[in-house]
Amino acid sequence: MLFNDYAFLLVFLPASLVIYRFADPHPQWRIGVLVILSFVFYSYWNPLFIILLALSITVNWLAARGYLATKRGGFITGSIVANLAVLGFFKYANFVSDNLAYLFERPLWHFNIALPLGISFFTFHHIMYLVDLRRGKAPDYSLGRYALYISFFPQSIAGPLARWSEVMHQFGRQAYAPGWQRQFAVGVTFIVIGLIEKTWLADPLGRLLDPIYAQAIHGPVTNGNSWPALGFAFQVLFDFAGYCDVAIGVGLLFGVQLPYNFNAPLRSTNLQDFWQRWHITLMTFLRDYVFMPLSNVKIGRKRYRLVQHFSAMLLTMALCGLWHGASWTFVLWGALHGCALVIVSLWRRYGPRLPALLGWALTAIFVLLTCVIFRAGSLEAAMNIYRGLAELPDLERSLRSAPIIIAALCAFLLPASQDIVAGLTERPKTAIAAVLGLAAVAILVELGDRDAYEFVYFQF
Amino acid sequence: MNLSTSSSDSQAWGRWLATFLCMAALGACMIFALVILVDPYDSGHFGFIGIKGISDESPRTANASRGRDPQFSAAVFGNSTGQLLKPTELSQATGLRFVQLTIPGTGPREQIVLLRWFVRHHARADALVIVTDPVWCIDDPALPIFNPFPFWLYSDSPIEYLGQLFSSRALGRLVRRVELGLGLRTPSAPDGYWNYELLGHGEFRPAPPPNEPADTAAVAETQFPAIEQLAGFIANVPNIPVVLVMPPMIASDLPRPGGRAAARLAACKGALARLVAGRPHSNFLDFRVDDPLTRDQKNFLDAGHYRAPVARRMEQRIAESLRVGNAGPTTF
Repeated sequence: MLFNDYAFLLVFLPASLVIYRFADPHPQWRIGVLVILSFVFYSYWNPLFIILLALSITVNWLAARGYLATKRGGFITGSIVANLAVLGFFKYANFVSDNLAYLFERPLWHFNIALPLGISFFTFHHIMYLVDLRRGKAPDYSLGRYALYISFFPQSIAGPLARWSEVMHQFGRQAYAPGWQRQFAVGVTFIVIGLIEKTWLADPLGRLLDPIYAQAIHGPVTNGNSWPALGFAFQVLFDFAGYCDVAIGVGLLFGVQLPYNFNAPLRSTNLQDFWQRWHITLMTFLRDYVFMPLSNVKIGRKRYRLVQHFSAMLLTMALCGLWHGASWTFVLWGALHGCALVIVSLWRRYGPRLPALLGWALTAIFVLLTCVIFRAGSLEAAMNIYRGLAELPDLERSLRSAPIIIAALCAFLLPASQDIVAGLTERPKTAIAAVLGLAAVAILVELGDRDAYEFVYFQF
Repeated sequence: MNLSTSSSDSQAWGRWLATFLCMAALGACMIFALVILVDPYDSGHFGFIGIKGISDESPRTANASRGRDPQFSAAVFGNSTGQLLKPTELSQATGLRFVQLTIPGTGPREQIVLLRWFVRHHARADALVIVTDPVWCIDDPALPIFNPFPFWLYSDSPIEYLGQLFSSRALGRLVRRVELGLGLRTPSAPDGYWNYELLGHGEFRPAPPPNEPADTAAVAETQFPAIEQLAGFIANVPNIPVVLVMPPMIASDLPRPGGRAAARLAACKGALARLVAGRPHSNFLDFRVDDPLTRDQKNFLDAGHYRAPVARRMEQRIAESLRVGNAGPTTF
């Protein structure tokens, strides 16, 4: 069930709201009902995977209880290793096998496995809680509340990667408390804005770019067709930001405020700024649970601390790339961003201050160019796109690229969607409600063509 | 974002939510009202303002309108390999009123749906000409389709049809239909004829025949689930003459005699011939043969798509079949 699917928008979501409306006056039912709804949502793709989800929740919760009862760190370490092992098996087993087979020049094992949806996200949720429990920052939670933290359906598949400290206290709160109307209005606005980003900005780009990237797999991309391929950065931005906005909106309808994930990243004036505004929750996770430990662990002499710091930065970004997919192109994409972050850090420390406009232009060009590697699927395909940039597109083709130009203008000029929503819902203006209502119908009409694109981030 | 409000604000936000829901509901109702009034695909389920003519250019969807047009009493079914059969020629030769209901890129499953649609909307159909190219010889009982097809459009259920009209594609068709009604658009050909030779392909050069020997392995089973389904359909319309046509292809690409493919094709042709054996004014015409017409590459646009001279000869044979049944010729 996709957020941009009739099954979700016209059946699951309204039905869930009605069910939750009945549960809301009864505090003891709220969490249980949301857990059941979340499991129903998750089981829509593959009912068998709810066994994995339920098992994952139970084992991690028991490990947390074990740690709290005995204070033995082995419970936490073992649980994290098991989480990463499960994630590694589902996501990287064939990648490792293929690489070993290439190295030893003979075929090895190949698992015919499907990646359980959202496994990366619920694994990271477990890790955040368990690490903070070990650090003494996280308290003990009941199984029901913990199950909801992992499975809460607006965020379980592709984030935002909410920390336990951001959402746990909100679970079980009365959604229909006084003032709920404003919260609902904000939620509805987030949903409509998110669907606009997905349906009117990202999907048209997908239809335009998919044939170009398909051509790049088979050979050179000629006649200036490579230029539109750079628009993938806008596609993935509005695809994922749109998804997150719908998730945030749906969360609000159930009384839970999820963290924001994007903050107009393509308006950043340097790459460090960009990574603080793009997929914010993942980057915060990587900063706190990967980069900081790697950077702060005492290895070697003090004078090498700077080298260690930058090595940690590079490694974190390479891992960020690998997290996006079991392919060397993702690792390369992450490593390139890691290198660029090191250069930007050094420049900011030792170099002259760049004008903001130049910094913005350099950042945008770098992001647009590296997104080609992210999307192309292979280095050869990416190189075919890059070589094709030597030819300029003709005017007729440029006119057909209107979706790219519109998306680019939105990405470069508009504020973050949460700021747009805040502006639209500052006061209860019925004219805005009417326009949003009509926009919702227009989106449903667009989605009625039944060829809606899946959200790009589902594969991660 | 601060979400707290005062109680008076709560009422205003309540009105905000009510406005949002009312406008969304109103917008949706208006769209449904429009599609019910106009009937974007002219399926006959709705369309209370009664716009006449075909505003659609794609045969996949336009044939819903053509297939129920009472001015026609006979139809040609199939895919692009039947496209060049001219309804006007067939009508002149037979005295019947023919319409072209072929749809490029379709197979048996879609064509049987079209057959049912035509028969359902014609209490007295005079003839069915079905171009049964080798896709009818498949052995997969699921009858796979190779291109998207709007089965919902040819459904009996107005609800199923209505459920598909809430889309930008349907609204695009609606606009075209309104333009047609206002005289701002030229209607598409009512008889569905379209000459693919106008696409301007260059001269056809057949590939040289392969050197390796033909696969002579025996054909294990000769089951043709598509033909079985066609048999079921034909049995339900005993009074309608049926002409089955195996379309020609360039002779150099025909399966080599003695091979497995040739044996299977022969078995398929036999199954088709048996379907109409003894049926009045019906016949099986086999044009997939080695013949002076099929040996000449000038008669083909590509290996499977013949040109006008071949089509004219086929039309003659179809007309003869409708007159004398299988007492007439069965090939060129």
